[in-house]
Amino acid sequence: MKKLVFAGLTLALLAGCSSTPLNDADAPSDAKAGKASEAVDQTSELGLDKLRSDSLLTQRSIYFDFDKFEVKSEYLDIVNAHAQYAADHPGVKMTLKGHADYRGSHEYNLSLGQKRSVSVKDVMNTSGANDSQIETVSYGEEESNQNCQGNECGQDRRVDISYEVE
Amino acid sequence: MKKIIYLFFALFYFIPLHAIEVIDILGGKANELSVAVIPFQDDLIENEKNQIHNVIKSDLSRSGFFRVIDTGGVNKLPTSVNDVDYSFWSGLQAELLVIGRVQRSDEQIKVVYELIDVFKEKMMVSSEYSGNTKQDRQIGHQISNVIYEKITGSQGVFHTKIGFVQKINNNKYHLNISDMDGFNKKAIVTSTQPIISTRWSPDGEKIAYVSFEKKKPVIYVQNLRNGERKLVANFKGNNSAPAWSPDSKQLAIVLTYNAFSQIYVMDADGKNIKRLMRSRSIDTEPTWAPDGKSIYFVSDRGGGPQIYKIDLATEQIRRVTFEGKYNVSPQLSPDGKLLTFITNDNGFFKVGVQNLISNQVMKLTQGRNDEAPVFSPNGHMVLYTHKDSEKETTLSTVSLNGFKQQVINLDSSKNYEATWSPIDF
Repeated sequence: MKKLVFAGLTLALLAGCSSTPLNDADAPSDAKAGKASEAVDQTSELGLDKLRSDSLLTQRSIYFDFDKFEVKSEYLDIVNAHAQYAADHPGVKMTLKGHADYRGSHEYNLSLGQKRSVSVKDVMNTSGANDSQIETVSYGEEESNQNCQGNECGQDRRVDISYEVE
Repeated sequence: MKKIIYLFFALFYFIPLHAIEVIDILGGKANELSVAVIPFQDDLIENEKNQIHNVIKSDLSRSGFFRVIDTGGVNKLPTSVNDVDYSFWSGLQAELLVIGRVQRSDEQIKVVYELIDVFKEKMMVSSEYSGNTKQDRQIGHQISNVIYEKITGSQGVFHTKIGFVQKINNNKYHLNISDMDGFNKKAIVTSTQPIISTRWSPDGEKIAYVSFEKKKPVIYVQNLRNGERKLVANFKGNNSAPAWSPDSKQLAIVLTYNAFSQIYVMDADGKNIKRLMRSRSIDTEPTWAPDGKSIYFVSDRGGGPQIYKIDLATEQIRRVTFEGKYNVSPQLSPDGKLLTFITNDNGFFKVGVQNLISNQVMKLTQGRNDEAPVFSPNGHMVLYTHKDSEKETTLSTVSLNGFKQQVINLDSSKNYEATWSPIDF
């Protein structure tokens, strides 16, 4: 009996060796299964349902005045909701991407967009979001409407909130 | 003639021997020297823009020192010194006359020309150039340089190159270099992501620029000799605003990590990075003084953006601009005596120049959306981006003498963020 088992194992090992492509072909389906279950976990663990349905959390843009970076009081509810969400879900990572309208210099606008994203981060920090959960970046005026006029340009003076899991 | 020229420049410039030193800007419309540039004999190429006299006319006009007389209605145009009717040309108020002759073969072009003082009835320059047939514009620029230096005492820059970004269809970006008047354009970098902040190295060999191709701004240096490019700054956060030291060995750059823009200095290959100073505000757009002893930069430490200067030895910081609430994009003249920048004048963004000795400020342009001024390598002109309403951004030069604005001849795409090669390019 023992001898038989041995032989069987050897066969299995041999089979394992020679059928590497087979194993590879199997791998993706395993991984898919794993990811699917992970995704289910994330949805509940990271509260993604809330992120996608909550009336404040679905608002992802904070707007600013010309050459200003202070978060206006009308946007504090949105910023605080995102901060609270991040505080409640320490695994969550978000990016704050600052923008500026096209007027003035490309470089100063890059700095201004960054200052806006940092100023949103600062508000979030005081509302309990951890610094390590937030990355601040700026695109300055590079994605802005180069032909905006008057109030229309206000659309480009903003910080966009995005989440890594999305 | 000499007397006329002397009086003219004495109004605006102090002349030590033969070199103009720009020590003051008094503003206003300068008197220009009137010059008639006659079509050169046998210059019969189809593309009129490349005819030698048209290249010279465009160059001299751009400089702001010359008023180019229209010779369209004149019947007898001289092509040699003996043909010149001096009383006729002085009657047209022409102070200078440029005439010449061209010989073209299949491969070669030879150009002989004369610069004539009409009032003194005297030849000031006579010379000749030859080259291959594709060098006709270059020969025109060389002749313009000789005339410019003869009249102003300063080196001309008509042979130099510029670099700039061209945006195509909102999804393609080229970093181009071309002649300083926009001709002979070629792309040295192409990308699907934005490019900004082009900076030609003072030794002429490289261009530093900011690319967003890593989904955030990072700094590359492109070698113009071998076409190689090197990623020199890719730190956490934004990497931007490269500025060459006068010896081309270091770069001042701006990094954010997870906070506000701050200025750092590193070797040009990205090594030995050091923070220049700490502030709780935006510090950006560094630019080195030509003597290498200080760095000018933009900071909003006083509220709105203003230009400041840090002395590298003492680390003392001093505010430089005081007029207006928004002054950005500082660049210095080659002699370090003038500062050009963008100033927000009641919602109009204009090119300003400040005399750093008297601190007098002049606005060189009318706006409304001017950006990114840089001095020509002789300091006599400023190249800048402008955008007229309903139109795309494009490049123009404006002269310090007479504020002559002339567009750079580029096709209709969006052109911006320009840089100028050094004079010995």
